[in-house]
Amino acid sequence: MDAEYNQIGASTELAQPSSDRRYRVFEEARITIETDTDIVVARQRGRELATRLGFSSSDLTLTATAISELARNIVQYAKRGEVTLRLIERNGREGIAVEARDQGPGIADIRRVLEGGYSTSRSLGLGLSGVKRLMDEFEIESKVGQGTKVVARKWRK
Amino acid sequence: MSNLQLEYDAALEAYVQRGGESALKQAYELGRRALGEGLGVLDMVAMHHRTLDKLMNENPQAVLVHRSGEFLAESMSPFEMTHRAYGEANATLRRLNDSLEGQTRKLANTLHDESGQLLSAVHIQLQEIAKGFSPAERAKLDSVRQLLDQIEQQLRQFSHDLRPTVLDDYGLVPAIQWLAGRFSKRMGIPVTVDAQSVTRLPATTEAALYRIAQEALNNAARHAKAARVQIRLKQLPGELHCSIRDDGVGFDVSSISSKRTKGLGLLGIQDRLSGLGAKFQIRSAAHEGTELSIIVPLEE
Repeated sequence: MDAEYNQIGASTELAQPSSDRRYRVFEEARITIETDTDIVVARQRGRELATRLGFSSSDLTLTATAISELARNIVQYAKRGEVTLRLIERNGREGIAVEARDQGPGIADIRRVLEGGYSTSRSLGLGLSGVKRLMDEFEIESKVGQGTKVVARKWRK
Repeated sequence: MSNLQLEYDAALEAYVQRGGESALKQAYELGRRALGEGLGVLDMVAMHHRTLDKLMNENPQAVLVHRSGEFLAESMSPFEMTHRAYGEANATLRRLNDSLEGQTRKLANTLHDESGQLLSAVHIQLQEIAKGFSPAERAKLDSVRQLLDQIEQQLRQFSHDLRPTVLDDYGLVPAIQWLAGRFSKRMGIPVTVDAQSVTRLPATTEAALYRIAQEALNNAARHAKAARVQIRLKQLPGELHCSIRDDGVGFDVSSISSKRTKGLGLLGIQDRLSGLGAKFQIRSAAHEGTELSIIVPLEE
């Protein structure tokens, strides 16, 4: 995505030199998301992959929850999109990256969405803000009318 | 395996076998400790079910229990998100209070030190000018100097109200004693301060309790029309207890618990306290005075 996109990542992430941000992908699964059944498939693949890394049962649940939230957003707002799950390694650490991508309506005010729970009465701190809290790293790019891309990573403890 | 898990194993097993309130109390204590160690909702569910898996061992119902544990964890996951959101909001609140307190301190220092120095310089220059003056002119100048003195005194008082230096230099108890003394003199309402074994506390805690005492005294004079006020501070292992009681007109506590009518002062107290993870209670009834009780957790 080009530089015009609204972009917000974890600030520590942005401050790091680019070489530290590179990681090796050693397994990848791509799931088209359109229906509730697809969400189930994505969760299941995610759980399988993270289990292989030796994630604790709590972290497996958190990863599945993050996949659910991101995939739900696609179904609800963009109607169609895809989730890519990657097993990754960076500086000797292994983890899972969940990428959700769609060409939906996009998000006008990312900051507001990430503040979920404070700024809108409807929100309970779930959704994107919840995913950000459950995972170790979170990045989002979105442009109104063109779509949204979210990447959330969780590392093995 | 963590200590907590082992203790949880033992406590749950004891409760399964014998029941009893003391095991339940221990369950509560274990939960408190887990929270203190930063464990979340899902960690607790996982811990519980690891214990159950061990207890079930060869039991034919083991699969049922194990699966229901997994199921429960998934359904608790949204609560984990809100639990984390709460922690984040608390941290934000604390940072906000700290920065507010820092700004107030800076403002108080500027008022006290820099404005004080400027006024002193004005005094010296006026003295120089007065040398060539006639007695009549000098008398006029004297009245100007008296006004300057009043301004200086007001600035000093304002600075102390904002942030008393005694709080930073000597801590909570001397600061509250100083506050109580000034309040008694100004309002004619006696205030007793009873402090037991209170040490220096984290700056945020000291500032919050000082502000709360300030607010409570203001309320006692302005709304409660109290004849006397008692402030008690007591430090226990891991906790500080603070109570502020007046003998004023009191009020119906239920009438202010709705957000809309809650006074700004009371809300400020609550915000400060939730930033510290403190517990807070108001007891009051018409004609029976008001008591504010606060328990602030301290790191051991």
